[in-house]
Amino acid sequence: MAKDPSFAVGQSIRRIDALGKVTGEAPYPGDINMDGQLWMKIRFSDRPHARVLAIDTQAAEAISGVRGIFTAKDVPVNEYGLVTKDQPVLCGPGSTIPGADVVRCYADMVAVVVADTEAIAAKAVKLIAVTYDDLPPVFDPEEAMQDGAPQIQINLPKNILCHYRIRMGDMAAGWAQSEVIVEGEYDTGYQEHAYLQPEAGLGYIDEQGRVTVIVAGQWVHEDQEQIYHALNLPPEEVRVIYPAIGGAFGGREDMSIQIVLALAAWKLRQPIKTIWSREESIQYHHKRHPIKIYARWGATRDGKIVAIESTVIGDAGPYNYTSTKVLANANLMVSGPYEVPNIHIDTYAVLTNNIPTGAFRGFGAPQGLFAAEGQMNKLAEALNIDPLELRMRNTIREGSILSVSTPLPAGVSMPEVFEACGRESYWHQTEDGRWQRNSLKQPNNPALRRGVGIAGGFKNIGFSFGFPEQNWATIELHGKMEIEQVIVRQAGAEVGQGAHTVFVQMAAEAIGVPVEKVRLIGHDTAETHTSGSASASRLTFMAGNAIRGAAAQALENWKNEERPAKATYQYRPPKTTMYDPETGKAEPNFAYGYVAQAVEVEVDTETGHIRVLRVVSTNDVGRAVNPELVQGQIEGAVVQAQGYALMENLVSVNGKIRNPFLSTYLIPTILDIPPEVKSVILEYPDPIGPWGARGMAEMPFLPLAPAIAAAVHDATGVWIDAIPLTPDRVVAALRAKGIGVF
Amino acid sequence: MYPTEIDYHRASSIAEAIELLSQNDDAKLLAGGHSLIPAMKLRLAQPGLLIDISHLEELKSIFVSGDKISIGALATHAQIAASADVQSYAPALASAAGIVGDQQVRNWGTIGGNLAHADPASDPPTVVLAYDGVIHIQGQSGSRSVNAQDFFVDLFATALEPGEIITRIELSNSSSAKSAYVKLSHPASRYAVVGVCAVLEMNGSTCTSARVAVGGATMKAVRSPGAESVLTGSSLDDSALNAAAAAVKSDIEEFLIGDMSYPEDYRQAMAGVYLKRAVHAALGS
Repeated sequence: MAKDPSFAVGQSIRRIDALGKVTGEAPYPGDINMDGQLWMKIRFSDRPHARVLAIDTQAAEAISGVRGIFTAKDVPVNEYGLVTKDQPVLCGPGSTIPGADVVRCYADMVAVVVADTEAIAAKAVKLIAVTYDDLPPVFDPEEAMQDGAPQIQINLPKNILCHYRIRMGDMAAGWAQSEVIVEGEYDTGYQEHAYLQPEAGLGYIDEQGRVTVIVAGQWVHEDQEQIYHALNLPPEEVRVIYPAIGGAFGGREDMSIQIVLALAAWKLRQPIKTIWSREESIQYHHKRHPIKIYARWGATRDGKIVAIESTVIGDAGPYNYTSTKVLANANLMVSGPYEVPNIHIDTYAVLTNNIPTGAFRGFGAPQGLFAAEGQMNKLAEALNIDPLELRMRNTIREGSILSVSTPLPAGVSMPEVFEACGRESYWHQTEDGRWQRNSLKQPNNPALRRGVGIAGGFKNIGFSFGFPEQNWATIELHGKMEIEQVIVRQAGAEVGQGAHTVFVQMAAEAIGVPVEKVRLIGHDTAETHTSGSASASRLTFMAGNAIRGAAAQALENWKNEERPAKATYQYRPPKTTMYDPETGKAEPNFAYGYVAQAVEVEVDTETGHIRVLRVVSTNDVGRAVNPELVQGQIEGAVVQAQGYALMENLVSVNGKIRNPFLSTYLIPTILDIPPEVKSVILEYPDPIGPWGARGMAEMPFLPLAPAIAAAVHDATGVWIDAIPLTPDRVVAALRAKGIGVF
Repeated sequence: MYPTEIDYHRASSIAEAIELLSQNDDAKLLAGGHSLIPAMKLRLAQPGLLIDISHLEELKSIFVSGDKISIGALATHAQIAASADVQSYAPALASAAGIVGDQQVRNWGTIGGNLAHADPASDPPTVVLAYDGVIHIQGQSGSRSVNAQDFFVDLFATALEPGEIITRIELSNSSSAKSAYVKLSHPASRYAVVGVCAVLEMNGSTCTSARVAVGGATMKAVRSPGAESVLTGSSLDDSALNAAAAAVKSDIEEFLIGDMSYPEDYRQAMAGVYLKRAVHAALGS
């Protein structure tokens, strides 16, 4: 069969879900209703840390139209959690799990009310009287690590959820060689995912008697597992279906409404609906980790980094979520995309009574790189070496040994990515081959200063550190003489990034048919095997390999005249390992994507406002399966990272979020985005990626914050090592150096 | 959020509106509704009765009489922004009206409703104050007028007595002055984080009289006597502007307000910055 290259890998075909989404036909969880459905409202904790002594539901039950109220005593196995099952589904007395009667943050759930209408449920939920015995709270991670700090989880003294060490080389020798040393203390803030669609769902009993939840998530089979564990049901009696998903960014990786919806539907045997308000969404799902990083780097005069010492402290909130993985990644990233012989790092995830923190695009890398690239830019200044030139002298290359004492997987393109970034933005090479910044024109108004910054980074594709990694795909080939239809079963979540379109393109390419002949059956646990989550920039890579494997076998079966020809394939990438507890030695990842960004900003030195004028984002994606979708991911990541760097200031006071509204928690809008985002798409194939593809969706997020901080320094001469760079923070920093004052 | 249940009455005249307002303690006038309705949705205002005056033609006109311009209380921001008379007599008011909220707010919101609401983050109070405007008021016992200086009393509080209604705003002809209103807008609401209006009488390069008003940063629109005195008699050079900026910061000290995004000290500093910008904008420099 002749391949038509215009319909498959490398083509910017229209998204297969575009029409439904632009016409409003595509159903999101909040759009789906069933006859006779009831409404659910959740009673969240009123305290940051307290033992729940009693829950009095009498007044709530007395309201006409209330159909059920559920508390801890109603949850068969009252625990859940993505990495560690350390959080009660409902906090309160009467549960068999020790410690399940304690609320540890305002996001903990205490009770759910189901009623005929949303208004009745909302009224009743307020009438539940909860008696608390307050426990001492702790909100500062560095305080929480001290002896005598309030202990949040039974088994974790000093609240240290994990402590990773990197011990590489000989630090004494490294410092002895260091002719220049720079130190910094870096602070990164919370970030809210702010997806378009707040949490919503429908729980019911399906025609085969399965407890079914229609919801938006990132991994149907994980949601299913969390539900059947808590309800103590066999897996096959629980079904999870995702309709259209209105964004995720890591924020739907952990459970929100899934378990309680299933619980209520299972108890009442009726359809039950819930929709969170934006305020509830911002208050009650996890956030990006605020991380504090202390860094000390040493280099020789000729610009070779010879020593890195860092301490990394992340605020995990009271439960793990994915904190042990996020901080593991920060631990790896805090030495940057550089090959350095002597490294000493201590990284901690620390429990507090703040909002839980977890997955968010970049997964610890943006924080680690904010410090690493900040250090790199300071070194460049101290050494009087161009920041790109300094990077070229230290960048990881093919065969480089990472801080974990093992080589990177093959296919390292960091030098090429840095060079392309320089060439496509503000740099040129001198005759002797060194990189040098072009001069920049300044505005006439002396209050406005322009500057340019650069930063780079890399990030794993797929699950890391020994977390079992796999992806299943099934392909059926229908027809007689020729293949008339290809059915692909693949559960990878279409969270808005375009995964479904890319799956169809890869299946079409693998089978050799136009995309119109491919039909995808997606995220429904009753119809598919597991795909793993839509996270870690992994779906194109993982599902692509699974689809390719299934396609090869299905084609073989087709040749053997099987009709329909069918094959199921499980792709398993090379194994990864966790850090050695003493030295940090590990093979943490099987593949990486590489990125560098240059940014031009204009700082109003009087008001502290920073305008991003231009971003050049250079990304090695291995192979752009759909270049327009790749560009969309780059532009989206840049805007989201700009919000992280400049605007998004989630205020938490004693564990309570004080600005849970989009009118007070500011995210970029059309008026804030840069006039130009230049997406430079490079295609250095990953040796084990499908058609060479690497993952790419997180990478354009990673270097923007440190690139902006460097540009602000270039413009003003002032380093600001805390983000977001809000106007008041910038003005305070500038005025401390006598800038913008009159 | 939805407002609580309310009664609604469409007034047939100013007199009837005043009558109803006097008889009902929990009544509110509905003009453009662009301050009131949001406050009702947030339950910050919970009137039992809305008296709709939005259609009363006699409150809508803008006219010039001698060296005064009179702006009806129901003139919309869009109407004021587009008025050639306002552009000539009080150019900063026309330009400020053109940057209130967004187009929908400007098409519906009225200057009378805006001033009566006395939102500290709103633009028109600052400008009317800088132009030394006079607020004309009608009540059951007749008409009176209040200088803008005395009209804004506190956060969301004015000199209006129960049962009173603003009928028009009167400004002197400032066409010979240099004036401008500039603001630092809140990115989400476009309300003023800081707004400064400067009205400068010039004789050549010397400023013979200056009026400076600040809003946004303060609980109500306030004048800055310190800045006015520094600017008056100066040639508005850098040293005068810097001294005026310092004076404005000191004058507003007791009135400062702030929030999570823009704390008091930031707004105070920005009042100085925006004073300089207002003077530059007024001079076109």
